[in-house]
Amino acid sequence: MKCGNGIEARQVNELCINIDPIQAGGKLTGDAIKAIIAYGDGYSVCDNCRKPNRLDCIAKPPIAQFHKEVASWLDMDEARMMPGARRAFQAVAHTYVKPGDPVLLTALSHYTEFLAVEEAGGVPCEIPADADHKITPEAAAAKIDEVKKKFGRAPVLALIDHVDYQYGNLHDFAGIAKVAHESDIPTLYNGAYTVGTMLVDGKALGADFVVGSGHKSMAAPAPSGVLAVTAERAKEVFRTTQIEGDVTKRRFGVKEPEMMGCTLMGATLVGMMASFPHVKERVKHFDKELENNRVVMEALLSIEGTKILSEYPRKHTLTRVDTTGSFDTIAEAHKKKGFYFSSALNDKGIFGIIPGATRVWKFNTYGITAKQARYLADAFVAVAEENGLAVKP
Amino acid sequence: MILRETAPGHELDEKQKAEAARLLENLERQVGSLKAEMLK
Repeated sequence: MKCGNGIEARQVNELCINIDPIQAGGKLTGDAIKAIIAYGDGYSVCDNCRKPNRLDCIAKPPIAQFHKEVASWLDMDEARMMPGARRAFQAVAHTYVKPGDPVLLTALSHYTEFLAVEEAGGVPCEIPADADHKITPEAAAAKIDEVKKKFGRAPVLALIDHVDYQYGNLHDFAGIAKVAHESDIPTLYNGAYTVGTMLVDGKALGADFVVGSGHKSMAAPAPSGVLAVTAERAKEVFRTTQIEGDVTKRRFGVKEPEMMGCTLMGATLVGMMASFPHVKERVKHFDKELENNRVVMEALLSIEGTKILSEYPRKHTLTRVDTTGSFDTIAEAHKKKGFYFSSALNDKGIFGIIPGATRVWKFNTYGITAKQARYLADAFVAVAEENGLAVKP
Repeated sequence: MILRETAPGHELDEKQKAEAARLLENLERQVGSLKAEMLK
């Protein structure tokens, strides 16, 4: 099927098991697919926009209610939907960081957190990871002390990933936030891999800001995300415009500068809203996701020479493995070189491993069924056996 | 969604077959309505 202008209809998720590390949690629900068709027109959600004329206040479709529900679900006080988690980092950094200010990041922070700090003129101060690729409260405390000595003051903001994108490790966010708060550092919870896949309680975690990614973990179209904040921080990040035109004397009501007025509109927003009931339900069953991941990991580790680089047992489904001692040993002599591996998986209906990768690679089993997990596990073992690798019984 | 849940083999169990049958019947009914409305 063609969508016009040379665009083929995408059928990856209908034809394959998709284990792409960044795509797994963003696969749409059936309701979201219907919603984005119904609300694809540009300003579709604005049909019933009434005073005070701001996106998060629209009652039909129930956008205002959705904002309240998302804030409550995350145990925060207010929320705004954003065009991606990165725009939430940007809004928070722009509010709190002035040029030359030190900002706490980690050795495993996503690049968009760095860019948000850069744009605000801040100075990145990374908490190093330990040998197990974990960010600890002890390391955070040491880094804050180091920053205080160097800058003569504490960092003005901390951006901490609960689950990092490199290893999918679950870090002690609550412990780090506690340490940061002892130095009055407002702390942002980056839940790009948790909000929408796992239960997240912002207050219990000690977060001032909770950021989630719609397209990464909330079964929503891109670009979408959420910024939820405490009542105290809402007054700062969601402050309303004060500007006035010098000639026209125009003012702009309750529009919020950090949100650039109205934020996430149309199909992306309604897609998020349509998936939300499903997302609220699925986060209660993350144990099943871990069980599926365990089935796949056990199969991979049965292939001699395969190592896991993420923490093990797994606490998240995003996983980094090292197959230098297994699948990579075949690549050199194979006619397809390193591409044989992803090619063999593609032939078995598995998508998402970077073509050519046979050494260190990531996958994410989130959202697959138990039957698909078994199929995936067997497929990895089958590719190993077909290529003469030793597999433990 | 059934296609997604059963990829890549698309071997439907009895429950999924029943759901697929229900959805296809709905679709056929909707196509019938469109034919009746648009081609009258």
